[in-house]
Amino acid sequence: MLKVENLVAGYGKVQVLHGVDIEVGDGQLVTLIGSNGAGKTTTLRALSGMIAPTSGSIKLGGVEISGLPSHKITRLGVAHSPEGRRVFPALPVGDNLLLGAFPRLTGARPKGDTAADLEKMYELFPRLRERRAQLAGTLSGGEQQMLAMARALMLNPELLMLDEPSMGLSPRLVEEVFATIARLKEGKTTMLLVEQFAAAALEVADFGYVLENGVISTSGPAAKLRDDPAVKAAYLGAAR
Amino acid sequence: MQILAQLIVSGISVGMVYGVIAFGYQLTFSTSKTLNFGQGEALMLGALVGLTTINFLIGHAIATLPAFLLMLPVVLAFGLLQGAVVEFFGVRQAVKAKSDAGWIMATIALGVVFKNMAENIWGHDALRFPSPLPEAALSFGGVRVQPMEIAIVVGALLLMVAVEVFNRKSIYGKAVVATANDRDAAGLMGIDTRLVIMFSYALSSMTAAFAGVLVAPVTLTGATMGAVLGLKAFAVAIIGGLSSGVGVVVGGLILGVVENLTGFYISTGYKDVPGLLLLLLVLSLKPAGLFGAAAIKKV
Repeated sequence: MLKVENLVAGYGKVQVLHGVDIEVGDGQLVTLIGSNGAGKTTTLRALSGMIAPTSGSIKLGGVEISGLPSHKITRLGVAHSPEGRRVFPALPVGDNLLLGAFPRLTGARPKGDTAADLEKMYELFPRLRERRAQLAGTLSGGEQQMLAMARALMLNPELLMLDEPSMGLSPRLVEEVFATIARLKEGKTTMLLVEQFAAAALEVADFGYVLENGVISTSGPAAKLRDDPAVKAAYLGAAR
Repeated sequence: MQILAQLIVSGISVGMVYGVIAFGYQLTFSTSKTLNFGQGEALMLGALVGLTTINFLIGHAIATLPAFLLMLPVVLAFGLLQGAVVEFFGVRQAVKAKSDAGWIMATIALGVVFKNMAENIWGHDALRFPSPLPEAALSFGGVRVQPMEIAIVVGALLLMVAVEVFNRKSIYGKAVVATANDRDAAGLMGIDTRLVIMFSYALSSMTAAFAGVLVAPVTLTGATMGAVLGLKAFAVAIIGGLSSGVGVVVGGLILGVVENLTGFYISTGYKDVPGLLLLLLVLSLKPAGLFGAAAIKKV
């Protein structure tokens, strides 16, 4: 589904990624873990076109998408739930969700049944149904996170990219978020998950990549990474 | 008492014009954090294009009121196009060059170009614009109101309501609000935010052009008619807050009425002073505008 080769990207003169290779297969859940500042968010931002990569190749289903503006990449089926949630605070929850389906509602992507999908989101996140007429800016952090995920899903994406869905949430909500991710995986959604909660991410993922200072240092099946002593020591807090 | 009522009533229609132009500033500021300093010229061009169109129609034996109504779509379409031109050739290039104040210079420069063009096409003289409604004032308990003044208030409100309904109800309108809320996130929704910004400029000039043909029958039309209106509406946009639709209407009304009161009770020479004083006062006491939300960002 997604094949990233030698991706170099950064902000202005500051280069953050120095040649990253990632592959996500159809229906796979792949996680990208790493410490603060390793370049996880930058990777997702380059993949979705929020920043233009300096060089490298990004292929989605065999089509080169590197350097396209974000709205075009979204229309090709990449949904990115960005760091910090980025819901539209002045719009009601329902409108936020509809905007997730913007390319479908305006003919840039196959329409399908958006009303049924909206209903599905309200079933997946019952809290959003209760609050659907409320402005997104008035939601709690956890609710906003759910909204950001549901909004991304409304695209009916080929690839769903989640950036730190657990950030700033209480332990109970983190559990809820990961339960949702597991459910999406059962539904065969292809996902690229960026997480600081490496243990939880490797628990649900099929495959994992460890990003260190802008390069992939280790990769492998998630179960194997969980047992890798170096990964354990650095990211799973086992060495203590 | 009657004089006071009269001053307030005539202030209201002028104030609505300020309000609707200020509303245009708001449209582009919300999506792009830039605005068209040639907004007054957009108004003037709209009025002059309207004048040529309505005279053409009247020349073909169409009565003034239907001619005015037939002219409106022409003027609105022209406004849309003119705004798109300003965005494409002025603002976009300046923003692309990563120049902080470039868009200010670019829009002012385009405004000057438009004004000179208008002087060459329509001449330097102020021209009379045929009034679609009877010019005889109606009297309400001694307070005299021109029918066109009522049309200004109704027309301006209708236009603003139409834009608001579009923003709330249609998916494209929601895309505009989303772009105003968070441009990067809007891009992630598959919204072409550059197009949205171009559209908001088009819409902004369209409101100005519409305001132009609304005031033209009560004032006069000419290449210089826009400058002062544009500037005062800018003051209104600042007073009312660049983020509040209610704010610009109230701000416009306040300015329109205060100007009229000053002109009568103090001196017509000082008519323009209170607006600017109000502007200074608001800037020093409540910089976000009377109705503006403070620019505090929740992290």
